[in-house]
Amino acid sequence: MQYEPHLDRAALIDLATMQYFGSVDRKDMAATLACFHDEALLCVQTEFTRHAGKAAIKQMFEGFFGAYTSIVHKDFTCTVDEKNGRITASFEAVLTAEDGSVTSLFNTNFWRIRDGKFQEVYVYFSGANVLV
Amino acid sequence: MTDWQEAGVGQEALPYPFYIDIVTKRYFDGVDNKALDQVLDCFTEDAVLTEVTSSTVHTGKAAISAMFTRLFTDFSSIWHGNFVHTADPGSNSVCSQFTVLITPHGGGELRYENCNRFYLKGDKFHRVYVYMSGDNLLKEGEA
Repeated sequence: MQYEPHLDRAALIDLATMQYFGSVDRKDMAATLACFHDEALLCVQTEFTRHAGKAAIKQMFEGFFGAYTSIVHKDFTCTVDEKNGRITASFEAVLTAEDGSVTSLFNTNFWRIRDGKFQEVYVYFSGANVLV
Repeated sequence: MTDWQEAGVGQEALPYPFYIDIVTKRYFDGVDNKALDQVLDCFTEDAVLTEVTSSTVHTGKAAISAMFTRLFTDFSSIWHGNFVHTADPGSNSVCSQFTVLITPHGGGELRYENCNRFYLKGDKFHRVYVYMSGDNLLKEGEA
């Protein structure tokens, strides 16, 4: 599916890495959810799971934020398809649990943008799914 | 070109259709038809293909060839389709989502929802990262 592109390269990268992951790393639920359309779809492809709609996505993030004391996404490598409103990024996710254990993942996200917000997000994990 | 980096600066942008065509009309067409030479022609000599979800690394065209030879032997039918691409001439890279239908000899059809990230050096794949929604199928072959 293709959506009308509105954001340029810099804006797409800013939305994915700063507005979205910056908000996730601060556990700022309102700012995180502001990146999504109400009827957005977030799929964890490597687990065949999907979270449809903002309420389901919020529930998923409540579990994710509660499971880790520290969440850091870093070292982004972005591929940007400006004409089609799509961006893909690889990154490292460093997740620290209450007991001090650290999980490091090397994931890839695909975002499809409609009117400046996420319409579809696809997540591919290098390890076990943490977005349950 | 000096100090090549994945999606790094200083690379020559190719036409947008090139990225779609090398992924679909050359690479995956070659895989689906078990055309090993066509597949290998997409890679640089020192390319590295990494299956991220199992941390399996195939370094160099010989190792990649051995991996595909095993894949082509182990499976009677391979199909890649339902592609959605993020193609970026500006960074000389293309990332693709797709469905895989693959049938092992004597077994039932398996369905995967995978993605690949392709980083080109010039006009060939230099680094490829594969994420699989199930068990790794890209195992080491006999070089």
